Amino acid sequence: MGAINAREARISDWGSRSIGTIWRAFDLQIATYAVLLTSFGLAMAYSNSVAGGDGALETGSVFLRGLLWASMALVVFIVATAFDYRWLRTLAWPLYALQIGLLAVTLAIGSGVGGSSRWISLLGLQFQFSELAKILMIVILANYLASRRGRMDSLWSILGACVLAGPPWALVLLQPDLGTSLVFGAILVGMLFLGGASLRWLGAMALAVLSALPFVWTYVLRDYQKERLSSFIDPLSDIRGAGYQLYQSQIAVGSGGWFGKGLTNSTQNQLDFLPVQVTDFVFAILAEELGFIGGMVVIGLFIALIWRVMAGGWRSRDPFGTMFAAGLASMIAFQVFVNIGMVIGIMPITGIPLPFITHGGASLISIAAGLGILQSINIRQGRAEW
Amino acid sequence: MSTDTVGLTDRDTSDHRSPIRFVVFGLVVVILGTILGVRLFMLQVASNRQFATLAQANRAVSQPIESTRGVIYDRNGIALVTNVPAYVVKIRPADLPEERRAEVVQRLASLLDMDPADINVAIDANPGSRFDLVRIASDVDEKVANFIAESRLDLPGTEIVVESRREYATGALLSQVMGYTGPISRTQLDVLASEGYLADDLIGKAGVESQYESALRGQYGVQLVEKDASGRRIQVLQTVKEPVAGNSLDLTIDVKEQEYAEQALKWGMSLAGLKRGVVIVMNPQTGEILAMVSLPTYDDNLFARGISSADYAALLDNPDKPLTNHAIAGQFPPGSTYKLVAGTGALADKKISRSTQLLTQAYLTLGSTKFYEWNRRGWGKCNIFCGFGHSSDTFFFQLSAMLGIDRLAYWAEQFGFGARTGVDLPGEVKGTVPSNQWKLDTLGSEIYPGEVFQAGIGQGYDVVTPLQLINAYAALANGGTLYQPQVVRDIKDANGQIVRAFQPQVIRKVDVDPSVLETMRQAARNVVVIRHTYNLADLPIVVAGKSGTAEFGTRDAEGRLPFHSWFVAFVPKDPTVSAKDPNGMKAVSGTDSELAVLAFAYDSRTKGNAATEIVKYYLQLHYGIKKDYRNFDLLKRGNFYQSN
Repeated sequence: MGAINAREARISDWGSRSIGTIWRAFDLQIATYAVLLTSFGLAMAYSNSVAGGDGALETGSVFLRGLLWASMALVVFIVATAFDYRWLRTLAWPLYALQIGLLAVTLAIGSGVGGSSRWISLLGLQFQFSELAKILMIVILANYLASRRGRMDSLWSILGACVLAGPPWALVLLQPDLGTSLVFGAILVGMLFLGGASLRWLGAMALAVLSALPFVWTYVLRDYQKERLSSFIDPLSDIRGAGYQLYQSQIAVGSGGWFGKGLTNSTQNQLDFLPVQVTDFVFAILAEELGFIGGMVVIGLFIALIWRVMAGGWRSRDPFGTMFAAGLASMIAFQVFVNIGMVIGIMPITGIPLPFITHGGASLISIAAGLGILQSINIRQGRAEW
Repeated sequence: MSTDTVGLTDRDTSDHRSPIRFVVFGLVVVILGTILGVRLFMLQVASNRQFATLAQANRAVSQPIESTRGVIYDRNGIALVTNVPAYVVKIRPADLPEERRAEVVQRLASLLDMDPADINVAIDANPGSRFDLVRIASDVDEKVANFIAESRLDLPGTEIVVESRREYATGALLSQVMGYTGPISRTQLDVLASEGYLADDLIGKAGVESQYESALRGQYGVQLVEKDASGRRIQVLQTVKEPVAGNSLDLTIDVKEQEYAEQALKWGMSLAGLKRGVVIVMNPQTGEILAMVSLPTYDDNLFARGISSADYAALLDNPDKPLTNHAIAGQFPPGSTYKLVAGTGALADKKISRSTQLLTQAYLTLGSTKFYEWNRRGWGKCNIFCGFGHSSDTFFFQLSAMLGIDRLAYWAEQFGFGARTGVDLPGEVKGTVPSNQWKLDTLGSEIYPGEVFQAGIGQGYDVVTPLQLINAYAALANGGTLYQPQVVRDIKDANGQIVRAFQPQVIRKVDVDPSVLETMRQAARNVVVIRHTYNLADLPIVVAGKSGTAEFGTRDAEGRLPFHSWFVAFVPKDPTVSAKDPNGMKAVSGTDSELAVLAFAYDSRTKGNAATEIVKYYLQLHYGIKKDYRNFDLLKRGNFYQSN
């Protein structure tokens, strides 16, 4: 018990430690998995650019934009690693204000498909602040739950976390962005669970949510969201409407076979049978072009990454670090399962991107920031274990 | 707590780390990952074959390759129709969202300068399924087509297709014979879909284009093409079957003769103020039709380019039926031209001989009814040459009475009346030859004697088509062979090899001694010689023929009936008038005529017989006769009724 104090003292003067010590604390595996997954994403961006009929290196191609975002993500990752994460605790409330502010601005002036407001154009690049809001959500909840250390059993811990998460959640739902609001929920539940919240109260909360579902269905969900959800039940019922993507996506995946058709050889993509493959259905094309083997490699990389994130959290002697890792792992796990599940027809369409793979800068930058913060936590914990 | 350096118990975890929860979380992640992996395996490995087929079906579409439609030439090898590329606007209804339909139709209508109602009708009348393309506009201007092709997002479901369309070199001149191609109808598609016709296919709709559809069309090929989700063609994967080009046709029609015939008919019609008219030129030796003009007519290029509903409605609403080929689809009382039947019959049945004289007078009485001679005087005693030459009604009343209605009908049928000639054009009607049985069947009573009189002079129930009439006189001219008229000489394949060579088709030999027909030919020559047809006798060629004035319709205030004029003539092979044969009687005794001409003037209230003047003008043009013998005065409007 008493050893904790001694160690904490050591954490505080990390700057005096040698580069080698820091390097050893730096989780090289996380960086490796992240780079590999980003490469898969870039490969798909390349394939998609070629399929679009334009050269991959033409100005404004999906691939070039992907490269640009990837390099920006690298910078963000390095900066976040170098940045002392403990400032995040100090700045938690301003960050909370920033998160709500960004979401409110998005709602006010953002643009999107079909009357929704999701993107803000920044320097000619579309940016989806709700991605960044996920990381901010994790930071804020981690700060709160860390402050509740020792009182996690209490119902108040759960209610407090819910109250904190409430305003951003509502703003996201108003955009409307069902996917992100679900991710917020997954982050909240994951962190409460791993933070040691009372299982009894968590169960009660789950029951409350379940009983609220009919109300949500009737009053909250938009028609197109309902269509997408119900088309999941029977995609063939509306083959030319909402079920179309699901159906075509399964054709893409299914026609891939063991080894796939080879990069850029997707017929489903090239012939536009999957019209929104640039967004949430990229994994379908990945599975078609790289096959079962490629798909399993990607899923394996995600599991390995989540494991390393969890390891970082376990190793952290700072409850904030543990909670942050829990939130990040929950977010990644939820998004991976829901997105891939959607592509292969076992989850409904909810508009949740696949981290690293889905083409979209905000998602990549945000995940880079999250992993950077985690590395920052890692290298500020003293000797590496595990 | 243990101080073990490995494992979850390494340090104090009670406050912020629960090992069990971390393990549970990890397990959940692994289980979810496994679910994904299993499902991926099921889709990609276990069901791969099924999905690969679906993906292939998504992109590979078996598509017909159009064959080149056969070309049509006149008898001298002049191309009458060619295939030219045309931009066609089509819509796939399934790709046109209903809520955007009004907007898209409106936009297309303004781009194509069409009535939106026409587009809506086209979409709704689509003979195929919602996934079949519907033809909206044919022969669209290239710029408009390009613009539409580039505006795909604004015009969902719209496609631009380049296909070949027919360009008729002669246009209205030959429309009645050539016909045109147009979009296949739903009922046609029902029948022809099994033969490879497509919902948006073109098909011959009239004339030779329709009659010889199967020969002209050729055979469509089949290719596998790769298509994207919106149906755009990406590339041809494989040609399964090469298309076979359609056969070409050589018509019997001579464009020059057609032009002469049209020129003559137009002249007569405009001068006499006629609404409808027909001229047919035939070779009596073969049954070949050299010219066939039916006015008013239409321009078949209008249809080939995609006729607007306004233009089409105007054609349909025209009371003179420009879309109808009156030469074969119109039936009219033949009037005195029909005296050929009674004359031939009476001679053949030995009711009279060449020299038998009958009394012609002002009228004959039957019961209390007077049957008047057309000039209300008569010509005294008359033989067949006199009776036929003057077209004496009282002479032929007597012949009709001698024959009776059923023999009259027999001889009419010998000459081909009352039956379709079988000409290779669609829409032919068969006319009516009244007999006792016919009247019992249709009207429920026997023929009255007065009706027998009328039947003998081509009035009453008799109706014929112009083609039947000229064909009958062609049989007279050639010595008694009734040919099936034809407009197509031969059929050639794409390499110019003859697939079907021309063969005259004999319907029958008229059941009569050749001398009888020789007498009738001389009688027909006498019509001209005695100047029943005015100065036709002055032409430097030998013409034999028969005029006719056929009353029809209802009497006007002065008790006069409107009437049609006919003249049907033939010219011996050597038409020149010789000193040895000043009247041309020897010339017409032969059976070598290669030229028969018929003119029909519908509702011609002229001073004289308009048809005769039209035939005369045609003959002048045909033989290059410099001097103009036309009687402009006879074509003046009047109610003359004497040149029977």
